[in-house]
Amino acid sequence: MKKTPLLGVAALAAAALALTSCAARGTDAGGDGASGVVPLNIGDFLDVTSWDPSLADIGFDGPYLSAVYDPLVVDDGSGQPEPALATDWEVSDDFLTITMNLRTDAVFSDGAAFDADAAVKSLEYLQAGVRSQEAYQKVESFEAVDADTIAIHLTERDDTILYYMGLGRSYMMSPSAIDDGTLAETPVGSGPYTLSADSVTGSEYRFDKVAEHWAAADFPFDPLVISPLSDATAMLNGLQGGQLNVIYGDQAAADMAEGQGWNVSEGVATWVGLQFTDRTGATEMGKPFGDVRVRQALNTAFDGPEMLEAIAQGSGAATNQVFPAGTTGNLAELDEQYATDIDRAKDLLAEAGYADGFAVTMPMAPPFQPYQATVEQVLGELGITVTWDEYQFADYMGKAPGYPLFIAVLSMDGDPVATVERQIATPQWYNPTPGLEASADVQEQVDAVFAAEPGDAQTAAIEQLNRTVTDEAWFDVWYQANNMFVSTSDFTVTPVVGTMFPTLRHIDLVE
Amino acid sequence: MLSFTIKRLLSGVILLVVVATGTFFLAHLAIPDPTLGLLGSAATPESQAALAQKIGTDRPLLAQYGDWVAAMLQGDFGESWKNFQPVAAQIGSKLPVTLSIVTAAVLLSAVLGGVLGTAAGLRPGSWIDRVVQAASVILFALPGFWIALVLVMLFAVQLQWFPAVGYTPPTQSLGGWLQSIALPAIALALGAIVMVAEQLRGGVVLADRQDYVRTLRSRGLPRWRIIVHLLRNASPAALTVLALMFVSLLSGAVVVEQIFALPGIGAVTLGASQNGDIPMLLGVTVITVVFVVIVNFLLDLLLGWINPKARVQ
Repeated sequence: MKKTPLLGVAALAAAALALTSCAARGTDAGGDGASGVVPLNIGDFLDVTSWDPSLADIGFDGPYLSAVYDPLVVDDGSGQPEPALATDWEVSDDFLTITMNLRTDAVFSDGAAFDADAAVKSLEYLQAGVRSQEAYQKVESFEAVDADTIAIHLTERDDTILYYMGLGRSYMMSPSAIDDGTLAETPVGSGPYTLSADSVTGSEYRFDKVAEHWAAADFPFDPLVISPLSDATAMLNGLQGGQLNVIYGDQAAADMAEGQGWNVSEGVATWVGLQFTDRTGATEMGKPFGDVRVRQALNTAFDGPEMLEAIAQGSGAATNQVFPAGTTGNLAELDEQYATDIDRAKDLLAEAGYADGFAVTMPMAPPFQPYQATVEQVLGELGITVTWDEYQFADYMGKAPGYPLFIAVLSMDGDPVATVERQIATPQWYNPTPGLEASADVQEQVDAVFAAEPGDAQTAAIEQLNRTVTDEAWFDVWYQANNMFVSTSDFTVTPVVGTMFPTLRHIDLVE
Repeated sequence: MLSFTIKRLLSGVILLVVVATGTFFLAHLAIPDPTLGLLGSAATPESQAALAQKIGTDRPLLAQYGDWVAAMLQGDFGESWKNFQPVAAQIGSKLPVTLSIVTAAVLLSAVLGGVLGTAAGLRPGSWIDRVVQAASVILFALPGFWIALVLVMLFAVQLQWFPAVGYTPPTQSLGGWLQSIALPAIALALGAIVMVAEQLRGGVVLADRQDYVRTLRSRGLPRWRIIVHLLRNASPAALTVLALMFVSLLSGAVVVEQIFALPGIGAVTLGASQNGDIPMLLGVTVITVVFVVIVNFLLDLLLGWINPKARVQ
């Protein structure tokens, strides 16, 4: 009975093959051993937001932008800035000036030379950009000291500016392209590749290698193709079919990796759990969460490690902290602090005066549905009844902060001071009222982190702050989830905490 | 025929205005503050305020609507809130992809469905009739995305005859274009082929029992001329199905585009709705409605031409 459709399939297949007289597209994944040059076809999860770095997202834009632009500094994968166009830098004793020495051998693809004036113009453009401004909130001015030196003058100390610049906020652009306002359509950088005219927008971006690039040897990929593929199955099919050799993977791809000889790289990227937005109990609905014992009860009730195994198939870290596992600030000794104990959780609730529980309303959107049943069940065991308000994902971010708590999957940062800023101290969409006033200890220790000498003293202050926010159950972190990258045996990928897809500088050939 | 055409065009314009206006207000009601979705996790109050000012959402909704209507009347779809590129240009680059696979699917459905339906209708109860009936049941029961996955696993991953993902424009390579749209079009078409065949079969069976067919036969007309007459009377239902199919495949293409990673309207719509990119959503809505109106208009003209009584009705 299936003969009929299959006949049609076969007929069309034959016709197409006759017309093309070649096999499916895709580049041979095998490398040219003699020259050390290999084709690299990347399956990214999202299309490039914009080729204009001031409008680009850090998330999945890494490979696209890093192909055509050089940054001043680049994240080394662990939150530390490394030299790129800036060869070295120095922070003044008062922490208010950063002086950078620049390379003198970089050239923009329109022929203009990269120098201090170009760097200042790019930085000023980035500071004014809607999305890129996040890195330059505390910058007073940029100064070209001489042809190959710039100074960044700050209004106040900023320990995170170099980190944000390294994440993808310091791409340098041709001054004339900035003036023309054409970067969004035609990127003009000094990067190791230029965008090819053969690219198919939204489907396949092809890049031409710049032979004279100052670090050409570090980019042995030719041809380079980046394809946005938001479907995990499509990405896996592309890898299996030989069209792709580095993809943003999932557990299904990782499970197949061993049998196929693929490499899997993974690293924590997000924390998953409950975010409290009313730690002072200022609202009627959020009143219970102003009591630390209620927050501790919730921390004790959920079995994070089990959720990691069941929902994330074990791809992540079983930790109850917002500092990424394995990085400065995260303390393994705290992970057992809220070992699952439903009786203890009930006792804590009773001590707080909620022996019979209470009612709470929470927002819900499709991406968070995998956690919905667990939340309802665990809170139900504590006598806490949940009413869900359903939203579309696009609306969730706007609505969630209006509830006293919500299910969160939040990006983490590789830099511990950035974590203190974004997760604890500064209002963000997911943390609209940080509630530092609810705890004198937290406020004092946040101030101590920002005032401490970088190095051991600051690390100690960060760790003390982490102990305090964990004691006070500032969050209910179930686990930290991994980002996963699957590649053919030729490549390895270094995940970068703070970005969803690392840059070309984090993709290497296997030695 | 002229007043018939004008009436159809007018109703199309009214439909466009109502749907576009409804979508505008519904989208703004559903996403009251799009800046969060657009900025993502890095959103700060400062960047949200800057973006709101840039995209104009800090102004009253009615003022935004007025500006949008004024711009639309001049053919200006505005700029995407996500990447600040013209909406029309972005849809213009995606539309050919979706139209490629949808048109190919409709053509496949018309040709194969037409041949199979006619053959089955001329010989009710024959083996081909039974095959068409059985295939209808099976292909209706199988989800489109499953068919697409089977096709890609077999013909792209295993045999590597076709690309598993991606799209090649015909301007770059005609063969590459055919390869890139073949599997998605087949995945879309399989269900449609049997639907057209079913409709045509029923029409042919009914028409075949009419007196005029017996008369034609008694006059000794060649068989192919009798079939032409039969088809003229039996085809309206199948044509209507094909037109409806075109419209439904436009939306059905979203899943297939995702499975084959094709940069069509589906990917744009999905991204725009997730990000809260309202101008892009509105642009896609307007374009889709225009297509629906055009297809229905052409169908009405065609049916009117085939059967003059339809013009009066």
